[in-house]
Amino acid sequence: MTPETTSHLGQISAAAGMGLSVVGLGVGVGLIFASFIQGIARQPELEGKLMTWTLVGAAIVEGIAIFAAIMCFLAIHG
Amino acid sequence: MAPKFDLNDFIMHHIGDSYEWHIPLFSPIHLPHFLTVHMLMLMIGTAFLLFLMLGVYRKQDRVPTGITNFIEFFVVYIRDEIVVPNMGQEEGEKFTPMFCSFFFFILLLNLMGLIPIFSTATGNINLTSGLAFLIFVLMVGGTLMRGGIMGMWHALVPPGIPGWFVPFMFVIEVFLLFVRCVALAMRLFANMIAGHIVITAFLGLCILFGVWAGVLAFPMAVLFYCMEIFVCLLQAFIFVLLSAIFIGHMYHPKH
Repeated sequence: MTPETTSHLGQISAAAGMGLSVVGLGVGVGLIFASFIQGIARQPELEGKLMTWTLVGAAIVEGIAIFAAIMCFLAIHG
Repeated sequence: MAPKFDLNDFIMHHIGDSYEWHIPLFSPIHLPHFLTVHMLMLMIGTAFLLFLMLGVYRKQDRVPTGITNFIEFFVVYIRDEIVVPNMGQEEGEKFTPMFCSFFFFILLLNLMGLIPIFSTATGNINLTSGLAFLIFVLMVGGTLMRGGIMGMWHALVPPGIPGWFVPFMFVIEVFLLFVRCVALAMRLFANMIAGHIVITAFLGLCILFGVWAGVLAFPMAVLFYCMEIFVCLLQAFIFVLLSAIFIGHMYHPKH
């Protein structure tokens, strides 16, 4: 832990944290859209209603990853 | 010799609030001490909305055409799919103007951020916190006015749970009340800011590494710009949908 690395500790941890949080985001949104496609395969008439809730769910899950992005951005400068 | 280009500064300059309004191709306008750029965007947005909605209201046709048709699509969608299913029929119709105001306000402020002259007022945590605070006041104040303290208690702690669990349920529900409103504010703020950071970062890459990186980075910035339009609509819709769900849940607890 030389001074050269500890002075950039905030930046290193921010980058690592962001990469880790995107793993969970990818799995979450993938699950949502997988069940959307299965739902349409079973009953194609429900496309409108299912599409609405798919997008709502995707926005909520992405919101959590974006909180993490903002915190990482603050960690770069704080 | 040109000063060294600082990417950090470039990004912060474009997404932060300031007292100088930078219009492209003109010199920056220095604003008075009580006005910042985001406040100016608020005022311009409100004036535009008032002008638009009053103009639409005066037309009074039986069958709407043109702009009225376009706005009516959103208003009817908000009433029939967002407010009334969550809050019941008569109360939903009383609350529809408020949710429409929130929706058009947030949508207009989001879209104004995409025009190069203006900046994103919803990219300011203070504004989104103010909107979420309004929703919080509606949730708590409305429940207290409708049912008093007992109404609040029934909204937080449903009547059928065992006695030993009641303190935990109360603490969790009060915590959830605050967390939901904070999440509303943070979600809108973070989505708007993140989009603009990405676009500004790609354009900064074009400047920093010259034309050959710019050939790849500039189309990426344009693609993100297109995604931003979708995100603006989606985030306004999500804000109104979630606040209707939360308020309906407090007024008519269906545990």
